[in-house]
Amino acid sequence: MLGRCFEEAGISTTGIVFVKEHAERVKPPRMLMVPFQFGLALGPPDDPETQHRTLKAALDLLEREKGPVLEELADDTVPEILLQASAVATKSSDAESGGNLSPADELTALRAYYERWVEAHDGRTALGLSGIPQRRFRGMVRFLEGYAAGEDEDMAERPPEVPVPQFIRYCVDDLKAFYYEARMTQWLSHDENQLHEWFWGETALAQLIVKLSERLGASDDADVKSIAYGLAR
Amino acid sequence: MPKLEQLSEVQHKMLVMFPCADHDDAPWTPLQRPLSESRLALVTSAGLHLRGDQPFVGNEQSYRVIPRSASPADIVQSHVSIGFDHVGIYRDINVTWPVDRLQELVDQGVVGSLSDNNYSFMGALRDPGRIIEETGPEVAQRLLDDGVDVALLTPT
Repeated sequence: MLGRCFEEAGISTTGIVFVKEHAERVKPPRMLMVPFQFGLALGPPDDPETQHRTLKAALDLLEREKGPVLEELADDTVPEILLQASAVATKSSDAESGGNLSPADELTALRAYYERWVEAHDGRTALGLSGIPQRRFRGMVRFLEGYAAGEDEDMAERPPEVPVPQFIRYCVDDLKAFYYEARMTQWLSHDENQLHEWFWGETALAQLIVKLSERLGASDDADVKSIAYGLAR
Repeated sequence: MPKLEQLSEVQHKMLVMFPCADHDDAPWTPLQRPLSESRLALVTSAGLHLRGDQPFVGNEQSYRVIPRSASPADIVQSHVSIGFDHVGIYRDINVTWPVDRLQELVDQGVVGSLSDNNYSFMGALRDPGRIIEETGPEVAQRLLDDGVDVALLTPT
């Protein structure tokens, strides 16, 4: 859509698409279809060589004399079917989920790893939607525990224009980022599925998220139900 | 992504049934000068924005400006879709927002220069009417004002 819009204004465009069948219908001017999993438009993380190959193939389309152009990236990648992160753990673990720790204890145990992650990545972290600094996440967890238990909880940091369920989603996204980044520091060799197995199969936070999802999912409001659905996946 | 025929019935149906506007042809602006002399902007539908900006909500059709001077450490993602694994972008922002790769292409002389501002929208929109009518043309004008020749579009 944006490609058509920019091209009408006099800007040449090229880009990347995942779903060939959609691009065939919309007909953007120039698009490269990639075989990678959703979320990985340029290719795998920390793989500059593949990312450059994808970029070159997309930029080469600018040389074409007429369009629309929809070309497939030549690549042997056969991505696995995406399983929801929570489904990875359900599928692979028969063990009782959750350890003996509470989410607050887990935060304390993971904090040093998280801080090492940020330091090793020049300050980059996926955390930041709630606006609450990670050093105050124990308070955030208390808020979420109260809400999951059916109490009328709120946080002073919630902006007035953001409804409580939406704010809960930002908090959960921040907590997931904190846990995953800490775990990736702790276990450098772990792949995505191992990370999901650990998070959804072994942490107390995942159990709390499931409870939050249950309370939000009981709402009659479709938007709140949709937040509930997304939280637990 | 996997070919549609390799997906589960639910995923297959969701993607096939996803609303798309049908077109018979595409507008076309040929490259005005060699890429090595062109100014390039990055525009994504990955729901990225600066930390501290208002996060995106589902079906939102406005956009966020991400200056070229922003470090990857300043950028977060609030895309609501559960259809992708976030671990990829936790590890490396270049999977969706290839700022490091593009800077390398400028350093190598493959691309002329990068725009002062880049732009981010929300993706997976079932009705992008306001983008087509309003916010898309608005960003196009901003790109022209910044002397942009080429826009590179990335999804998540």
